[in-house]
Amino acid sequence: MAAENTVAPAGNDVHPMGSLAAAGWLAWFSVREMARRRRLVSLVAINLLPVLVVAAIRIWFPQAGVTAQMLLASLSHDVFMPFLIPVVALAVGVPAIGEQVDDGTIVFTWTRPIHRRAIYLGRLLAAQVVSTLVLCLSLVLCFVVMVTEGPQVLTWDFLRLYLQTFVIIGLGAFTYAALFATMGTFFRKPVLPAILFAFGWENLVSSIPARVQELSLRFHLQNLVTRPESAPQDLPGLLGALLSTAFEREPVPKLQSIGVLVAVMLLSTVLGIWLLRQKEIAK
Amino acid sequence: MKGAGIDSSQARISADRVGKWFGEVIAVNNCTLNVGTGVVGLLGANGAGKSTLFKMLAGLIEPSHGTVRVFGRRLRQDVGWYRRVGFCPESDALPDWMTGREFLTLMLRLMGFDKAETNRRVDYWLERFELTDAAGRRLGGYSKGMRQKIKLAQAMAHDPDVIFLDEPLNGMDPVSRKQSIDLVRELGQQGRTVLVSSHILPEVESMTSEIILIDRGRVLAEGAVAEIRDKIPEHPTTVALVSSAPRALAGFLIGRDHVVGVQVDQENRVVVSTDHAVAFYRALPGWLLGNGLVVDEIVTLDDSLEAVFQYLTER
Repeated sequence: MAAENTVAPAGNDVHPMGSLAAAGWLAWFSVREMARRRRLVSLVAINLLPVLVVAAIRIWFPQAGVTAQMLLASLSHDVFMPFLIPVVALAVGVPAIGEQVDDGTIVFTWTRPIHRRAIYLGRLLAAQVVSTLVLCLSLVLCFVVMVTEGPQVLTWDFLRLYLQTFVIIGLGAFTYAALFATMGTFFRKPVLPAILFAFGWENLVSSIPARVQELSLRFHLQNLVTRPESAPQDLPGLLGALLSTAFEREPVPKLQSIGVLVAVMLLSTVLGIWLLRQKEIAK
Repeated sequence: MKGAGIDSSQARISADRVGKWFGEVIAVNNCTLNVGTGVVGLLGANGAGKSTLFKMLAGLIEPSHGTVRVFGRRLRQDVGWYRRVGFCPESDALPDWMTGREFLTLMLRLMGFDKAETNRRVDYWLERFELTDAAGRRLGGYSKGMRQKIKLAQAMAHDPDVIFLDEPLNGMDPVSRKQSIDLVRELGQQGRTVLVSSHILPEVESMTSEIILIDRGRVLAEGAVAEIRDKIPEHPTTVALVSSAPRALAGFLIGRDHVVGVQVDQENRVVVSTDHAVAFYRALPGWLLGNGLVVDEIVTLDDSLEAVFQYLTER
């Protein structure tokens, strides 16, 4: 400690930092934190599943009549929406805020001149962005494998469906991550309740016919996927099952589904901010 | 303005009848205290409630009852005032994935400093804590002492007027410990308020003589150690006087004001028990000069912080 203290006093500026600026800074550092975590490698590996499905169909069943458009819709409807989005959002969203409260590291941001809503929004935004990037990486790899079939794949309808899928996956990741971040803030041990929700409630409720299925996020996400007119019948085993179960639901207006997903995201975020404001540091 | 035990109107940190329950456990019970400028030690055994009180003072825990204010503000509501507050937690938890430089940079950017000023301060405080060589390493790879230093650096880097240091010297090597103690004293001399929580009495004693003593969730005493010592009537202060004529001196002192006991020990020192050390010290030169007595050395045997702590907590 050789240097002399030449630092000027801080002065009397006691206005809190703007919430957007603070959230932006926290989000930037938090994205880097989440990207360096080991669990992200596992998530990326799990997200190779749809790429493998596309590759398997292209290699072993090139003549099965499965178009790229049909394949994309099926993967989106039956792999991304019910499985990958909840898994990724759960793994990234649950610890986004709650983990920092539990391990005590949140004390360093709590003792800065920023509102807790900025802390919450910054961390949540990072979790949402990371979840979306992981899922979209998978989608990009699927695209790469699909276009190896030839330039005839790149139709306007396919590209429109592809971009649409990006947006729906993003919306799903943002909504699930917001919900799981709230659960992570509320529960002391949030992983089990989050798993029960993602694979218990969502599975059960979205399988019940009539309007009950509208109580699940999965239903609304699947409702947004543009469906091909028919599914091929001559694929064996798992692949056949995957593609044939994709087209069974009674649709509701897409705007309604978007409204439900956005409302769940916003309400979860407001609730999460409120919960964080009540939190006290234990360590 | 002195540190502990001052009037609330002068206080930078004040707590008014503050209490905190965790379920049925009372962690802090009806504490009132006021802290001005300088270094003040918050002392107490493990489990005495000092960490809970500390976190309430820093706005990290809401009191169950009573109010806590820093600069007259409630930090949990007026978060902008954290610009003038630094906090070093006791917990060893750090964002281990960050490098030391990244950590300090984030902490300063969140204080509102621009990039150039942030970089300047990061460089300065890394150098000040001798962490420049480790600046690019992840915090997860830091030793306990280095982690303690980076926690101190983030608490001081924005030049706060009030600094809370919770067990700041944990895990430091002797050299770093000495440097940190010097730094804390320097901050106190600059007119900042430094509240240091510790259960290691010599550590606090080396930083300040102003203390707040807490036990079983209650503030037992606050102020200068010597003043507090004088307020413990059941344990008179013991003073050893070294003289070439110990028996004559002992005989003279028997029955004098504030002298409650006199004896000559095995080293031929006159050991005096006094119920008011300050008054005794004031009167002693006059007594000696007026009666031709000579004292070569005066040693106060039990006005140390440790003795005060033991007497007040009966441990």
